[in-house]
Amino acid sequence: MAIFRSLQDGAFTEWFLGSESIWTYPTVLTLHTVGMAILVGASFVIHLRILQVAGAIPLRRLLPLYRFIWIGFAINLLSGLILFATEAADRIADPVFYVKMVSIAAALWLGGVVKRRVIVRPSAPEATTLASRSMAAASLALWATAIVAGRLMAYLKTTR
Amino acid sequence: MPEFAAWVESTPISRALFGMSWLWPACESLHFIGLCMLIGGAGLLDLRLMGMFRGLPIRHIRAMMPWAIGGFFINAATGTLFLIMQPHLYLSSAVWWSKVAFIGVAAANALFFETRLALPALTMEPDADTPTAMKVVGACSLFSWFAVLYCGRMLPYLGTGN
Repeated sequence: MAIFRSLQDGAFTEWFLGSESIWTYPTVLTLHTVGMAILVGASFVIHLRILQVAGAIPLRRLLPLYRFIWIGFAINLLSGLILFATEAADRIADPVFYVKMVSIAAALWLGGVVKRRVIVRPSAPEATTLASRSMAAASLALWATAIVAGRLMAYLKTTR
Repeated sequence: MPEFAAWVESTPISRALFGMSWLWPACESLHFIGLCMLIGGAGLLDLRLMGMFRGLPIRHIRAMMPWAIGGFFINAATGTLFLIMQPHLYLSSAVWWSKVAFIGVAAANALFFETRLALPALTMEPDADTPTAMKVVGACSLFSWFAVLYCGRMLPYLGTGN
């Protein structure tokens, strides 16, 4: 636990949060929002289509969207690690942080299962099964949970 | 404008809404979810108009637009609540007015697409490249929506005088 305390109280945090520059905390926070828009936005499109409530885009044509999921995820992993470092002691003791992490892991895992079952299968049937639709719905709900948890975390910290 | 903001803030509705401590974070969460719906749906159409995602028929992507428009209205509603609760934060902010201006640009751009380009776009071959006008409209939309996001997220940090 000491390592998280020293990260949160260390020189990097002091510079990162104390700087008057918009290029430190505000920009990393904004990048985290941009990454979310790309990652969750692409995921919404794919899973709404699989739920058959958003038109009839040929499923296999959605494949290039997964590149955007990974680009968004990479942006948010990096920006998220920086943000975590500056609040490490608070976050590691914060149940809401674990709700967010578990939701993201589960949403990505379910998204991967749906991709293998519905999108990349060479003879992908255009009508999706109930099981695939349930997983798509669960993935959407998990992304929404991650967003709500992320927003609530801002209200549960001791640094500014 | 400061007088108007002060008046809004003195109204019983503004006080009552701001008095509900859960309402602000709830609206923020919905504002983020609406943002993902808007950028996800509109962004896909924008990228296709820019010539990416060949093989994806534009008429199929357009069937996604009710979700993007729904996301926009979630954000317009939650944004209006923020405005009623803390009007001075926004009405006195050049960054907020820039955000409103970029929403205007995105809306005008979408209207131009719907009235002038939608018909030829819908009948295009799935694999066809898009004409320059569509590429410009797609890029303008994508840029405007990310500018809206940037202004909104940076609002507390930009132009605060420190």
